[in-house]
Amino acid sequence: MNHLEFKISLAPFYPASEILVAKLGEIGFESFVEDEPYILAYILKSDFNDFNLTQVLNEMESFSKIKIEKKEIPKENWNKRWENSFEPITLGDFCIIRAPFHSSNPNIKHEIIIEPKMSFGTGHHETTQLMIELMKGIDFADKKVLDMGSGTGILAILAEQLGAKSILAIDIEEWAFENMNENLERNNCSRIKTKLGGEEQLPEDENYDIILANINKNILKSQFETYAKLQLANQRMLISGFFQTDLKELSNRLQDYNYALEISIVENLWTSALFVKG
Amino acid sequence: MAKEVSGIIKLQIRGGAANPSPPVGPALGAKGVNIMDFCKQFNGRTQEKAGKVLPVVITVYSDKSFDFVIKTPPAAVQLLEKAKIKSGSPEPNRKKVASVTWDQVKEIAEDKMEDLNAFKVESAMNMVAGTARSMGINVKGTRPF
Repeated sequence: MNHLEFKISLAPFYPASEILVAKLGEIGFESFVEDEPYILAYILKSDFNDFNLTQVLNEMESFSKIKIEKKEIPKENWNKRWENSFEPITLGDFCIIRAPFHSSNPNIKHEIIIEPKMSFGTGHHETTQLMIELMKGIDFADKKVLDMGSGTGILAILAEQLGAKSILAIDIEEWAFENMNENLERNNCSRIKTKLGGEEQLPEDENYDIILANINKNILKSQFETYAKLQLANQRMLISGFFQTDLKELSNRLQDYNYALEISIVENLWTSALFVKG
Repeated sequence: MAKEVSGIIKLQIRGGAANPSPPVGPALGAKGVNIMDFCKQFNGRTQEKAGKVLPVVITVYSDKSFDFVIKTPPAAVQLLEKAKIKSGSPEPNRKKVASVTWDQVKEIAEDKMEDLNAFKVESAMNMVAGTARSMGINVKGTRPF
């Protein structure tokens, strides 16, 4: 999904710029750059509503002269510079995550080849490393796995390598979904099914031995109820993407669905935790 | 030894909503920073302020690492929020005018003192009240100073 960029010049600039940003924030605009005499405002194309914008601009006309230019931003891999030269990640002799341009290391058990193309999950972030660390201690053989917010597909690929029988990997971002499919091919995966979307993409009558979800606190909290319906007693849920200070809140919420915290691990305040359903 | 700074980037992003498209993508990407790491960090740290526009100042170092400071929302954003809380108007027959109290203006002023370049809380309050008025938000009651 593309973004729209609005270049809005304001004369006078202050305090109109601040008010405009506040009002645009209320109607779905996501991010802004202030660069006197104009602001750049960005919104997801599907969130944009012409009527709302006209209304805001009308309100602004009483104190500034406004000029506006609209532009659609073509899809582009903005992360290319970093992706062209990143270092592979080695987690002991358990796992290496590398790009196609890095050489292989035969002394490491699991090798995951990722070309991220602006998707999350290259092993560089603590949250991914912690998930891998937790996955290391779990038996995946013949297990049914769900990976929510799969990004590059890194955790799903590892789950297949660890022997999972079938894996469903879901991501809400189009570019991540496309990229994950490319990475599955790159790693010769054959037991991973992918879907584009959110929790509405989850089947209703399935259950998963293991759920993997490296997302963020708010989304996890809002989706636990759905995940819980997909698991039976003794099945496991691994979550990540939040801070140590949020673990209690998330644990309490999961308790409502009869999950107990088994292990949590922390790196730079980022936390991953393993829960088991009772 | 302190790391060499290769650039400072100022953006405003809605809490929890950083993504690699513009402006985040091109601004950070051009400096060779891993954009996805920034988005995960920013969204992780702003879960409690999801949906609010937050100014962020990102420092990029010559080794492509970065750190960032999240500032409190601009006065206008805070005013909208405070005015909204009281939208259940006690006088339903009159035209609804959004309003805030001087106490609320003071809260915002104290929060934004540094950014407003004000030495005294009273002058910061005047600036915030001025912003409120230009937004069509009434400041209720008598000026406390």
